[in-house]
Amino acid sequence: MPNTPHISRRELLRGAALVPVAGALAACATPAAPPAASSSAAPAATSAANPFGVGSKPLEVWIFDGGFGQDYAKNIHQPLFKSKYAGVEIKHNATKEITKVLQPRFAGGNPPEVIDNSGANFMDFGALSQDGQLQDLTPLLDAPSWDDPNTKVRDTIDQSVIDIGMYEGKFSVLGYVNYIHGIWYSQKVFRDNGWQIPKTWDEFLALCETIKKSGKMAPFTYAGKFPQYLYEPLLTMAAKVGGNEVLVNIDNLEDGAWTSEAMKTAATAWAEVGAKYLMEGTTGLDHVQTQTAQNKYKVAMLPSGSWLENEQKTTTPADFEYGMFPIPDVTGSDKMPYGTLHTQPGENFIVSARSAHPQAGMEYLRAMLSKKAAGDFSALVRTMTVVKGATEGRDISPGVTSASKAVADAGTNTVYYRWFNWYGPLKDEAIAATGELMSGGLTPDKYLERIQKKADEIKNDSSIKKYKRT
Amino acid sequence: MIFNRYRRGLFITSFLAAPVILYLVYVISPYIQAFYIALTDWRGVTATPRLIGLENFQRLFNDNVFWQAVMHNGALLVLLPLITIVIALFFAFLLNVGGPQGVTGIRGSKFYRVIFFFPQVLAVAVVAVLFQQVFRPDGSGMLNGPLMALGMGPIGFLSDRDVAFWSVLAVMVWQAVGFYVVLFSAGLASIPKDMFEAAQIDGASRISLFFRITLPLLWDTVQVAWVYLGILALDVFAIVWVMTLQHGGPDRSTTVMAAEIYRSAFEHFRFGYASALGVVMFFFTVGFAILSLRLSRRERIEY
Amino acid sequence: MTTMISWTAANSRKIAREERRRRLGPLGVLTHLALLIWTLLVMVPILWTFLASVKSEDEIFSDAWSLPASLRWDNFARAWEQAHIGQYMLNSVIVVAFSTFGTMLIGSMAAYVLARYPFRGNRAIYLLFVSGLAFPVYLALTPLFFVVQNMGNLPVIGPFIGLNTHAGLVLVYIAYSMPFTVFFLSAFFRTLPTAVGEAAMVDGASHTRVFFQIMLPMARPGIISITIFNILGQWNQYQLPLILLQERDKWVLTMGIADISTAAGYDQDWSALFAALTLAILPMLIIYTVFQRQIQSGLTSGALK
Repeated sequence: MPNTPHISRRELLRGAALVPVAGALAACATPAAPPAASSSAAPAATSAANPFGVGSKPLEVWIFDGGFGQDYAKNIHQPLFKSKYAGVEIKHNATKEITKVLQPRFAGGNPPEVIDNSGANFMDFGALSQDGQLQDLTPLLDAPSWDDPNTKVRDTIDQSVIDIGMYEGKFSVLGYVNYIHGIWYSQKVFRDNGWQIPKTWDEFLALCETIKKSGKMAPFTYAGKFPQYLYEPLLTMAAKVGGNEVLVNIDNLEDGAWTSEAMKTAATAWAEVGAKYLMEGTTGLDHVQTQTAQNKYKVAMLPSGSWLENEQKTTTPADFEYGMFPIPDVTGSDKMPYGTLHTQPGENFIVSARSAHPQAGMEYLRAMLSKKAAGDFSALVRTMTVVKGATEGRDISPGVTSASKAVADAGTNTVYYRWFNWYGPLKDEAIAATGELMSGGLTPDKYLERIQKKADEIKNDSSIKKYKRT
Repeated sequence: MIFNRYRRGLFITSFLAAPVILYLVYVISPYIQAFYIALTDWRGVTATPRLIGLENFQRLFNDNVFWQAVMHNGALLVLLPLITIVIALFFAFLLNVGGPQGVTGIRGSKFYRVIFFFPQVLAVAVVAVLFQQVFRPDGSGMLNGPLMALGMGPIGFLSDRDVAFWSVLAVMVWQAVGFYVVLFSAGLASIPKDMFEAAQIDGASRISLFFRITLPLLWDTVQVAWVYLGILALDVFAIVWVMTLQHGGPDRSTTVMAAEIYRSAFEHFRFGYASALGVVMFFFTVGFAILSLRLSRRERIEY
Repeated sequence: MTTMISWTAANSRKIAREERRRRLGPLGVLTHLALLIWTLLVMVPILWTFLASVKSEDEIFSDAWSLPASLRWDNFARAWEQAHIGQYMLNSVIVVAFSTFGTMLIGSMAAYVLARYPFRGNRAIYLLFVSGLAFPVYLALTPLFFVVQNMGNLPVIGPFIGLNTHAGLVLVYIAYSMPFTVFFLSAFFRTLPTAVGEAAMVDGASHTRVFFQIMLPMARPGIISITIFNILGQWNQYQLPLILLQERDKWVLTMGIADISTAAGYDQDWSALFAALTLAILPMLIIYTVFQRQIQSGLTSGALK
């Protein structure tokens, strides 16, 4: 049914009353045309205080209810938004399965305004972008910040957020949290046992051997059910060994990107850990089970990100003292120095272009990027946001201290990758293959060849939109 | 007379209108649309999907994962009916003619029949979650707990790619057997008792009783069971999607056609491609149905 | 005297027991052993779930077979309230009650007409219904989503049968139960004698009356068995509600259970998962045990026709 702008819901229904049932049946024969009416509804007037022209329609927000829970949205972000727009009703929702719940809403043409598209089952950004579902957030970057009318939002956040949020040349995805990846351990356990943080891979292997021999706990584990937790340190290591271009080539689907020498080194290194030092049963456990095992001192180290501390807050012993260290030096001639980190904006917020009130969605993001909102968020969920200086003068936890020190040490030596957000089938293949690599079902060479094959397949698949980065 | 014919026509129309309309709207029209979508590169939202002809079908021809899924469905198609029917026939025989005289049911057969049927009344999704816990890979798993206590290493029921498929099959058999025990029991009950008695007087052992009388007379029922179980094997989804690691893993070792269709559509947003996979699955299922109808058109044993 | 009686009674009991053992023989023991093993295979996972549902989080993660130190009934409170198992179960009951009733009403009407009234197109309509038995539902999922969504745009009734409505789901269940229902019921109607209905027609009864007052009661065994099949099938549905109901408060039980299983990984609340499983399993087992005779005979009579 073609809709014209300015048509009200009531009129729409009355109009539909004229359509005979037979007509409705015929309409079934093709997917519904997304109702364009909503987003093109006349926006309210814009002003410096209301740069996007927020109207009076409700604002629907969906939060991924994972490591950070949903309270931050309900108790921090939404009240702040409400303080300015008391007349806009906020419909707050949370789910652990973003795709399952929201994909049909997109397909149905009535997506919610704001979505925290995160978690193990986030929606494919590539598909959303390809279908024009992502609101161009460039106006948000150029709007004055919530705190200071003379500073643009663009200048209050890390540049990497803008780089990574680009889809088809438009800034469309706002990573809110600065995820810092590394190997996590208990500072107390290391202190008590006299274990040192390994600076080289040989030291790391020696440490694993020491821990194994001590019989106190297993050396290493990862969320075996979700092998993406392991390809993260593997890719970071490859970047450290072979330089940032290793990851750039992988993202750009370059020929042989996965089978490069640096990737071979990294895959071989981790396969050895998989063969020798994994906690028993690792491959069948999920992130929470392995992390809880670490809290119970059954395993010493695991790869994770800076959300870990908050995710585990109920099971972590008071004196556990989370700490994080970066990937050690591998070859002695690594292209990137010790301390190189994988940092990546995460908790990806999007505004649906075809929602009823995208203006309010953008304004909601602007409120989230205020110093107060970001600072309160960090205090509540013990994680750094992408807002510069938001945690100044606030109490932070041992894990955040450790992670932010690592970030400071890394300086400009940070890397990231985006292929898993762009190419869902490639992500699935890498997940499946990484699990096999770690359980010994695939040799490092076969492992890389397999993922390379999938990457080539995607490259040659005209129905999948391709992305480039630098 | 004319009035009567009019009345009859009105009656037929009024009785068929609702079911036929519902069926056309909700069942037939989606299938027709699916065949059309299979020819497009639709990713779920665009108003006008682009027609790309048979490209999706060329693509799926080289899609190893999908063919892996087809192989798994194929293996299930053979193994699930075979194992379930053998076990169910065995128990049905024991329960109904396994008694002391060889013709009566054994003591407590009613009790067993009730218990055996339990899994059948549980939702598949519930069974899947239940066994996820039963199969836990560490000492907290129902099976691995005792195994580890006995000093054996934990078995990765769901995490070892060589084991996971068998775990799926085992759960499906676990759930299906009870129904077929009851089905075969009913079949056995309709066989006249004196046939067994006559055979016993001729000195037939219980084993020959089974092969000479029970099985031939139950053959019709066994065929019905085979078709049901075959469709179950081709249609399996919830067990795999909910129970296994990575929805059909580890490393696709348990994936099935339905899971790949769901994954392509609702995780990769490739609705055109998913529909093409669905069309292939459609032909497999219809093929199986026609084949089994053909094969089952053999002579009935009258008694 | 009394001792004498009790002695005889004990003795005869002993004799009876020995008699039984003799008759049982080694084969009989093996028979019982085999049956017992399967009984254990069926019951142990279920009982283990019940056991875990009253354990604490720590106890669940330690030894699988340890007994709980104290019974944690609060697990059930959490499953019922926070995980909304009660709500989901109620939703399931409502949806299945209406959809099964609708399926049987509409399905038996269609089956009866197709079985007993030859007319041009009869065979075609029958085949159209029956061919649905072989269609994999996964092919239809995506378009079905849009069909239901478009139904939501119909005048007046739209809001009641669109996405996220139980009535919409009921209609879908009914439609997808048609192939099976029509196939078996029309086979059943064909086996019924025609004389009674014809006599009633001569007496001036309408076609409709003949159906509802004569044929339907005669078809009772078949109706019951197909009803049970449909209740089980629709109660167990996971795939269709998964795409058609996105609003949490509309969810049915299977979705709720699958969701808790995912959520347990994040919330670290496995004890509530076991409690929820128990809540989903126990009522079904009780209802089944109470009605087991009818259910078993009903099921098999349907399948054997």
